[in-house]
Amino acid sequence: MRYPHLLSPITLNQVTIRNRVVSTAHAEVYAEPGGLPGDRYIRYYEEKARGGLGLAICGGSSPVSIDSPQGWWKSVNLSTDAVIDPLARLAETMHRHGAKIMIQATHMGRRSSYHCEHWPHLMTPSGIREPVHRGNAKIIEIEEIRRIVGDFARAAKRVQAAGLDGIEISAAHQHLIDQFWSPRTNHRSDEFGGSLENRMRFGIEVLTAVREAVGADFCVGLRMCGDEFHEDGLDHETLKQIAQAMSETQLIDYLSVIGSGADTHNTLANCMPPMALPPEPFVHLAAGIKSVVTIPVMHAQSIRDAGQAERILAGGMVDLVGMTRAQIADPHMVEKIRDGREDEIKQCVGANYCIDRQYNGHDVLCISNAATSREATMPHVIARSTGPIRKVVVVGGGPGGLEAARVARARGHAVVLFEKSEAVGGQINLAARAPQREQMAGIVRWFDMETKRLGVDRRMGTEATAAMILGEQPDIVVLATGGASHSGDVAGWGVADGLAVSSWDILSGRVEPARNVLVYDAVSTHAGAGVADYLATRGGTVEIVTPDVKIADDVGGTTFPIFYRRLYAMDVVMTPNHWLDRVYAEGDKKIAVLRNEYTEALEERAVDQVVIENGILPNDALYWALKEGSLNRGQVDVARLFAAEPQPALAEDLSGDRYLLYRVGDCISQHNIHGAIYDALRLCKDF
Amino acid sequence: MFPLAGAVTILFWLAVLVLIVGLWRRARLWRKGRKARMNWLGLLAIPKRYFVDLHHVVARDPYIARTHMAVAGGAIAALGLVGINYGLLLYSPGLDWGIAIAALIMLSGSAFVWLRRRNPPARLSRGAWSRMPYSLAAFALGLVLLGVISGMSLPVSGLVAGFAALILLLLLAGTAELALGIGTGGPMKHAVAGLLHLGFHPRPERFTHPSTGLKLLDLQEGDFGVEKPADFHWNQLLSFDACVQCGKCEAACPAFAAGQPLNPKKLIQDLVVGMAGGSDAAYAGSRSPGLPIGKHFGAPNAAILPGLVAPETLWSCTTCRACVQECPMLIEHVDAIVDLRRFETLAHGDIPGKGPETLANLRETGTVGGFPHAARAHWAVDLDVRQAQPGEAIDILLVAGEGVFDMRYQRTLRALVKSLKAAKVDFALLGTLERDTGDTARRLGDEATFQTLAKANIATLDGLDFKRIVTADPHVLNSLRNEYPALGGRYAVLHHTTLLAELTRSGALTLGARDDTRPITYHDPCYLGRYNGEIDAPRALLAGMGVAVREMERSGLRGRCCGGGGGAPLTDIPGKRRIPDIRVDDARETGAAIIAVACPNCTAMLEGVVGERPEILDIAELVAASLEA
Repeated sequence: MRYPHLLSPITLNQVTIRNRVVSTAHAEVYAEPGGLPGDRYIRYYEEKARGGLGLAICGGSSPVSIDSPQGWWKSVNLSTDAVIDPLARLAETMHRHGAKIMIQATHMGRRSSYHCEHWPHLMTPSGIREPVHRGNAKIIEIEEIRRIVGDFARAAKRVQAAGLDGIEISAAHQHLIDQFWSPRTNHRSDEFGGSLENRMRFGIEVLTAVREAVGADFCVGLRMCGDEFHEDGLDHETLKQIAQAMSETQLIDYLSVIGSGADTHNTLANCMPPMALPPEPFVHLAAGIKSVVTIPVMHAQSIRDAGQAERILAGGMVDLVGMTRAQIADPHMVEKIRDGREDEIKQCVGANYCIDRQYNGHDVLCISNAATSREATMPHVIARSTGPIRKVVVVGGGPGGLEAARVARARGHAVVLFEKSEAVGGQINLAARAPQREQMAGIVRWFDMETKRLGVDRRMGTEATAAMILGEQPDIVVLATGGASHSGDVAGWGVADGLAVSSWDILSGRVEPARNVLVYDAVSTHAGAGVADYLATRGGTVEIVTPDVKIADDVGGTTFPIFYRRLYAMDVVMTPNHWLDRVYAEGDKKIAVLRNEYTEALEERAVDQVVIENGILPNDALYWALKEGSLNRGQVDVARLFAAEPQPALAEDLSGDRYLLYRVGDCISQHNIHGAIYDALRLCKDF
Repeated sequence: MFPLAGAVTILFWLAVLVLIVGLWRRARLWRKGRKARMNWLGLLAIPKRYFVDLHHVVARDPYIARTHMAVAGGAIAALGLVGINYGLLLYSPGLDWGIAIAALIMLSGSAFVWLRRRNPPARLSRGAWSRMPYSLAAFALGLVLLGVISGMSLPVSGLVAGFAALILLLLLAGTAELALGIGTGGPMKHAVAGLLHLGFHPRPERFTHPSTGLKLLDLQEGDFGVEKPADFHWNQLLSFDACVQCGKCEAACPAFAAGQPLNPKKLIQDLVVGMAGGSDAAYAGSRSPGLPIGKHFGAPNAAILPGLVAPETLWSCTTCRACVQECPMLIEHVDAIVDLRRFETLAHGDIPGKGPETLANLRETGTVGGFPHAARAHWAVDLDVRQAQPGEAIDILLVAGEGVFDMRYQRTLRALVKSLKAAKVDFALLGTLERDTGDTARRLGDEATFQTLAKANIATLDGLDFKRIVTADPHVLNSLRNEYPALGGRYAVLHHTTLLAELTRSGALTLGARDDTRPITYHDPCYLGRYNGEIDAPRALLAGMGVAVREMERSGLRGRCCGGGGGAPLTDIPGKRRIPDIRVDDARETGAAIIAVACPNCTAMLEGVVGERPEILDIAELVAASLEA
């Protein structure tokens, strides 16, 4: 019996869950206006149900009260009866595939933004402002407490009426209940503040009201933190006391435990641990809580593969494993585990593209899976084509080219993939060279294995020429040639004159890092901070300069803190708001001339090495060479592409020398990994 | 009075005497075996058993069937006429001509024996068997000449006297082979032993209906199986003596093909050696792979293992019954092997590989893998399937088997449930009430554990209200259908392919045509095909999905084993290749991209083949997928 723990059922209250794999509550940012789950929302969860997961807890932070806003981040609104029907559709869908579905309910207190929709006055036990969301809030009054307790009960009724299998009350990530628990946010002197018993009062009232509303047989869970990691916050021992108390109320059927507070940028980065953190960094907190409670404990934080999950369960640390990002990357993960196809699982690498988008109010998307949350139009499983079998030539083995080759091959076509280097991966291989970013290579690993498994004819170490491509007698040519470092963008940087080098030169090892280095990052993605980190880690004295308002400005909210932790710790000087005008040589030094964006004042730095990160310049030579001869003159029908419909040119007669020419990813203009993969999937799924 | 005639009469009665003495000696050897229920009426059934049941097997090889008909038929007719004409002193020239004609038929048959023996297949034994064409031809020629010379009633002359001397010489040679040979254990003993074996067959029910279940061991009476040749029932010893060393068993044996140290023919011959006492030095056939010849000794009351038969030989058998299926003498090799295994296991506890661990699991937990019974229904926890309860009537009880703990088989079961639901079948799982059927324990020789488990299951099943049992595991099917009745458990048991085919016929289930056009072959599980005769339902289902099955050369009742039966994967005796590798090669020859199977063991074995290989899909999975189409 493989995975005897992971794949054994468990019963929470009356709900028997088929295995221990949970998709825990997270903000999906997919709800329709008004906070109602729609087609996209339901399909997103249905795919996981189809893929075998045991339990999904949807609707991370779904508010129960209208003064806890949800609209600005498209969460589910549990404060209205209108949510019942769409939730019922969701429940019916999940049950059809044998999965269970619950929803998280909460009042977020101060943890929100007031300046949208109803412009509510946020509230919190002691009126202390929340830093991350700039959550200015008033002191909550007793009447409001009573009303919100009632809101929880009414929301629970709605959830039960919709036929969901349970409700999870959130007391994690510093929502209203744990704002009451935490001495960091609760300075009250009434019966809701002071002693731990008083601070727990609000939460217990909520759970009591919810239990009364749903009766004894409905599953009610509680999500809580295992340690806030704040001097003035809740520590592990206190949270164990709270957990024990909550367990002893017999009001709840399970506890879900996470590590870290979340009201500062730095603590928030722990909550969805990015790749820089070790695997399951906080499982010990869940295990600690499990040691004092009598109900099942769930834990999610960087549990990303089956062996790891089985080990954690077998060790008795927890009873259920949240594998949430793992199933965003591959909603069919459980089925593949069950079927012994672990090698085909698209593993989450912890790039946190998903959560970093949510941070910016965008919908959650996966860096390596363009089908996730696009289930209506983009297939997770590529069906074989029923049309003519084509010869498809893909040029470039970066993420876009790999996805194009994978999809076209899975459609049943004969696919040749040219890659000029000896390894696939393209720019991801460079990205994986930065410290603590090694796991980026995991994205490549999956595509590498899949293209091999599917039988793509991979011509490694072969720089394709137009003649070679045409020599393959292709029906369709997909260029995914990526780009080259755009460090030559500004002549004054002196790259052509040897005064500066590119971040690619450093990360690839072509150029030795010098002692005293200035990194100029014109684009503020992971690359600039990554190369600064690379240089500093090797002992260099590093200053990183950008014209943006902060270093790594285009790096998401759970990832930039990792760079900052490292760069500050290594005394890297961070200089935002400055342009690099030019570089000149003086003796054996390079002089970098910086110009302040706002004062236009010039400053100079004398360094040993100037490193330029300026994104990429598309490699388009092959495109221009092949465009004239192609049937579609290299054009994409964007209306059809955006509508996820087949390209009209695919219906053309492609016999003889006729071929279609398409491009995906950076070789058109700079996108990102997801962009390249999405380009390839939406184009090639119809080949 | 013609001197030749008198000489033939004397020779005839002398031969009869020699034969009787020889038979007596041979019978004394058989009688060393244990008593068996004597069914004298069986003797009356010999002609039917010979001309129908035995001929059915022999006829698969038309060349040798016709040859044998000519030789044996000619010989019996000629000898009968000699008995009448010379034994009874009639000396009628008319009968002499009859002798000549019958002997001529025999002679022509002998010529074909000779032809076959010129370049014999490896499976045929040499040695004494190689002289057969000559001794038979000599005898036949002698009889032809006798018939012709006597029939022509020639006057006495020097030439005739010369012929007479030649005839007597030839007849003497033939008589030595026939009469003396039988008594001394020569090749011709097969004629007498074979016929008697048909009359006293240890599994007489096989002549009225397919019979494959193992025999119950009376443990209360202290019967722990077979340690020494004398522990076999006397009619088993007789059956071994019937062996003609044709090697059909050897050619069919998957373990032999894989280079594991088992050759069923050699095993039977070793048992003959044991019965008579001596060594295997005279054996002139293919050896048990990797084992020497001439180094094995036996005696009726000496332990068979390890001196006469190597333990590895015993544990290489997959109990696939291919040997039994092929044996023209209707010998029951598998019963003999299990008899030997029983003693090894029950008396010595000496089982190689994972055998002891598995048996301990079965004894202590009622599962092969030592798993909790609560986990038996885990595979179905999300499928909304009923668990059978006493007092709740259902049509179909699904008995899943030990595969429930294996995720691969769970996929098959889930597919089956999908089809049953689509057909609106009223069914429930035996689920957590189930115990292993005891199949593995029984085939590993642990009869005690088998009986304990079987009785527990029977008690459970008798407390439930169902009409029929369905299982996706042919080993479960075989235990419940063929082996539980001896312990009082009588149920209507179906294989899932049988039920699914029935549902399609009744219109309850409508199969869609497969849009996947990859070619498919079908692998017959031994315990479904040979053991239970079901070779049509799986093919009917495939045909119903529009699949034209690419048959492997060895298919249907003559299918080749996957290597997964009889506990062979547990005892894991090394050979030159693995049996499933050979079987997948069989499938590759058909060009199939998919091997359809109908047994969790076959699935596991074939999927265990490394490298590029066809995909393995259970019929249940193919059916379920076709419902989506």
